[in-house]
Amino acid sequence: MTLLEGEREVILKHVKEILDDRGTSRENLIPVLQQVQDKLGYLPDLAMQKIAAGLDIPTVDVYGIATFYNQFRMNPPGDHQFKVCMGTACYMVGGNIAIESFERRLEIREGETTPDRKFSLERVACVGCCTMAPVVLVDEEVEGHVTPTRVDGILLAFETETEKEEGKNGEGIEEKEERRSDA
Amino acid sequence: MGKKITLTIDDRQVTAFEGEKLLWVALENDIYIPHLCAIKEEERPSASCRLCFVEVEGFSHPVTACTQEVYAGMIVKTRSPRVDRLVKSAFELLLSDHRLECAKCPKNRSCELQKIAKERKLKLRLTRLKPLEKEYAIDESMGSFVFDPSRCVLCGRCVYVDHQEVEVGAIGFTHRGLQRKVTTFGGGLLADSPCTGCGRCVEVCPVGALFFTDKAG
Amino acid sequence: MKVITAVERYTELKTKAQEKVNSLQDKPLVRIGTATCGLAAGALQVKETFEEEIKNKGLDVRIQEVGCMGHCYAEPLAIISKPGFPSFCYGKVDEGLAKLLVDSFLENDDPCYEYAMVALEPNDIFPTFTDFPRDAYEKKIILEHCGFIDPGDIEHYIAHEGYAALAKALEEMKPEEIISEMTASGLRGRGGAGFPVGKKWSLCKDTPDEVKYIICNADEGDPGAFMDRNVLESNPHQVIEGMLISAYTVGAEKGYIYIRNEYPLAIQRIETALEQAREIGLLGDSIFGSPFNFDLEIFEGSGAFVCGEESALVSSMEGKMGIPQARPPYMAVSGFRGRPTVLNNVKTFAYVPTIIRKGADYFKSVGTSDSSGTAVFTLVGKVANTGLVEVPMGTTLRQLIFDIGEGIPAEKEFKAVQIGGPSGGCLPETKLDIPIDFDSLAEAGAIMGSGGLVVLDEDDCMVAIARYFLEFTQQESCGKCTFCRLGTKHMLDILTRITQGKGEMADLEILQELAEDIKMGSLCNLGKTAPNPILTTLRYFRDEYEAHILEGRCPACMCKDLILYYIVPEKCSKLCNVCVGSCPVEAIYTREDGLKAIDQEKCVKCDNCLKTCPPEHDAVIKLSPPVLPED
Ligand SMILES: Cc1cc2nc3c(=O)[nH]c(=O)nc-3n(C[C@H](O)[C@H](O)[C@H](O)COP(=O)(O)O)c2cc1C
Ligand code: SF4
Ligand code: SF4
Ligand code: FES
Repeated sequence: MTLLEGEREVILKHVKEILDDRGTSRENLIPVLQQVQDKLGYLPDLAMQKIAAGLDIPTVDVYGIATFYNQFRMNPPGDHQFKVCMGTACYMVGGNIAIESFERRLEIREGETTPDRKFSLERVACVGCCTMAPVVLVDEEVEGHVTPTRVDGILLAFETETEKEEGKNGEGIEEKEERRSDA
Repeated sequence: MGKKITLTIDDRQVTAFEGEKLLWVALENDIYIPHLCAIKEEERPSASCRLCFVEVEGFSHPVTACTQEVYAGMIVKTRSPRVDRLVKSAFELLLSDHRLECAKCPKNRSCELQKIAKERKLKLRLTRLKPLEKEYAIDESMGSFVFDPSRCVLCGRCVYVDHQEVEVGAIGFTHRGLQRKVTTFGGGLLADSPCTGCGRCVEVCPVGALFFTDKAG
Repeated sequence: MKVITAVERYTELKTKAQEKVNSLQDKPLVRIGTATCGLAAGALQVKETFEEEIKNKGLDVRIQEVGCMGHCYAEPLAIISKPGFPSFCYGKVDEGLAKLLVDSFLENDDPCYEYAMVALEPNDIFPTFTDFPRDAYEKKIILEHCGFIDPGDIEHYIAHEGYAALAKALEEMKPEEIISEMTASGLRGRGGAGFPVGKKWSLCKDTPDEVKYIICNADEGDPGAFMDRNVLESNPHQVIEGMLISAYTVGAEKGYIYIRNEYPLAIQRIETALEQAREIGLLGDSIFGSPFNFDLEIFEGSGAFVCGEESALVSSMEGKMGIPQARPPYMAVSGFRGRPTVLNNVKTFAYVPTIIRKGADYFKSVGTSDSSGTAVFTLVGKVANTGLVEVPMGTTLRQLIFDIGEGIPAEKEFKAVQIGGPSGGCLPETKLDIPIDFDSLAEAGAIMGSGGLVVLDEDDCMVAIARYFLEFTQQESCGKCTFCRLGTKHMLDILTRITQGKGEMADLEILQELAEDIKMGSLCNLGKTAPNPILTTLRYFRDEYEAHILEGRCPACMCKDLILYYIVPEKCSKLCNVCVGSCPVEAIYTREDGLKAIDQEKCVKCDNCLKTCPPEHDAVIKLSPPVLPED
């Protein structure tokens, strides 16, 4: 993945800060990766390389850890994240139906981000709200009893929100689009 | 090393040092036990291939010989119906994830899988299972050797020598579960990795996943 | 110079804490359950409404956040205590009810009995928990204070005998005595395997080393289980105290709580708890003035179920992949950083203070002879009262589901109960009378596991359920060993084929064989237990497998490839258009005669029309095998 302008500096800065704060023992690898992802939203190759250098371990080992754990992602997430709970209780009362509804509406598969980077869809293991199954985390907010109709409702709310924003600062968005196609 | 002891493997008395791992004691005495992942120098064996099962008297279940320490008076049987069934099953599982084209493989006749099949009279084809058929790209970037992941049995020998012996850190295990694999950072080519081309990993690979090109020619 | 003992120091702390807690009773108090279940149901909005209304009316009322009482089906919950009244608990509180309660009860004196669920103290007017059918069975040891005390204030815990056990242990008990007490209590680990705690601690204590560690396993990865989270969110100090006692016993000075990063609230509550404990010297150097030093840190897991396995957990704390190792060596001999390590589950530690305070005999008196104490379950699925329950070991499944859980909702038929999550099994009606304890469950093919209990009814397909759990373990397998990495994948493929109607009878043989081999041959318990859902469903529900294979029929109408949606012409009202609008792919059309019908080519089987068709018509049905009736 190519980095957008300025991203390189941001990555280097955050990684350095976090490593300085955490120290260089291998035991810190997972907390460091967690903090870097918290700051950047994902783990760019560059960040993993710098972390490996900082902790004095092979880069492939950092990559190994990052690909082992569910928490870590190698691609930037969408602006809004839907996490559909696939715990037992949710599955039984239609968690998979909810995920399929999202897939159909967003035209992506679970684990993917829409091409405009606006939405991403994931499945998560039990979020611990089984009594409200099926549950979807919409940007970390819990939505309970999510039927296909509710999925439509959730997406509609975001659409109206964007429309409003576009109405307000349509120019801004165009500019951003342009920059992105440059990169 | 502990003191010298005597144990019985398949009705044969053998001597060993207390605390040694049963697998190596058996092999040194020319008693074959199938194995892929065991590395003698490794302090904690990974015990991942699950081929080295044996019966030890007094144990309720078959145990892996690569992890089992020997002790005085131990009585071991390398074969039993339970052991044979486990080995057969593990072997077929490994084959289901291994591109089976022995005739075209540079390791034909020197492959450990073939050896296990021969020793234990197992079929080199699938009987109950369907092949998993994973698609992996073949890495020929090093020139002198080739890495074909679709033949890899995940024994970890190459990663061990890369990390512990030559201390390069070019390849490692990544991903989880069925996706677990040996690759470079980011899954890139070996030529773009810190690999020095020393070829130690190729020497230890028990199957045709890593092979020298001269032999392939 | 007079030496101040640990117990004296503790008594001082407790007197202060009790004064504080008692002083809270001078004015009305509203307690709102803000554990994750409460928050998800909207507890924060309810709390805000209370605050606003109370402020608007200028009332002098205290508001407090508490944890979860276990009645998750009735969240958000609020408890209102007003001098002169018993405390009342209200369920399903929304903003309207909050306003009403402020108005009628707090401002005036009408407790709104019609909305009250239960009173907390015995009284002449309103039923208390003892009048609930579930009270006859419930026995709360670790959940006793959950939902009633403020988990964010250590003094609330101390006022309820909290840390008394630690003081007692430090002053009056030698490590050996604590171990014999734990052994005598018969406490077995609650993380799944049921290993005796006394044995584990004594092994660790007897392994000579200067550095030892205590780790609390709060990884709780079973889909459908959240007891550990609730204990940590609702009463974190109980766990911390248990860890302190364990550390003192084995001689450790450092401990970790390994918790899933998906539990942000629990993490936050533990952080607060640790800070407060440090502030008053319950963590750090010379605790209670004794030579005992101990401190605790949080380690956030990164979302891999296998990290709940102890050696994988420790590997991940060391910055490596969470991959299990062959045993021996055991954790208690060589664990974190190769040092002797006691690793126990959240609930296991949570029992410790009670056992030390009330004695092994008390604990032993609850439960059965081989499984003493209580079992904590999350009761979910097709059961009326979902939530958290704590019952003595030996309670039967039937009592748990039908008396405590109050049975299956919507007049459906009970089919099975799934216990122990992905490592557990599905038990049928005929096994409902077995007592819940480690050994009886194992005998029936299930396991105690970490306490997830899912009730299944006639609408649940047992093949699909087995497939669901297997898919979970298959995805969560670390991938190290052959049987688990590849064997679960092959079993999953076979099950998938069966749920698609493409199975063959020979597949059942292969499934059974593979399942047995994986159980015997895998390296860790993830692989060893992964076949349990399959083995139990094959054993108890073989007919359902056969229906899929031989008739292409899913008896529960759950497997998508084997059903179709159909609008019964005789039932359709013609006049309503609800289903047409609800269909996301416009598969429903109006026939010439005005009735609605489904274009089977377009239908994606999303279930929307069935849900939206008004109950008075109830015209949409599922058919399996997927064959349209001839008109
Ligand atoms: C795949 C797997 C997942 C596990 N997950 C958990 C878990 O989430 N919580 C837990 O306490 N124990 C879990 N265990 C059990 C632990 O390995 C260990 O036995 C337990 O934490 C010991 O504590 P106890 O003796 O108090 O039960 C898991 C085991 C396996 C094999
Ligand atoms: S490439 Fe060869 S040596 Fe390396 S893990 Fe695979 S089979 Fe083993
Ligand atoms: S049984 Fe599964 S989870 Fe356990 S070591 Fe083997 S592959 Fe990993
Ligand atoms: S050699 Fe023992 S498990 Fe592989």
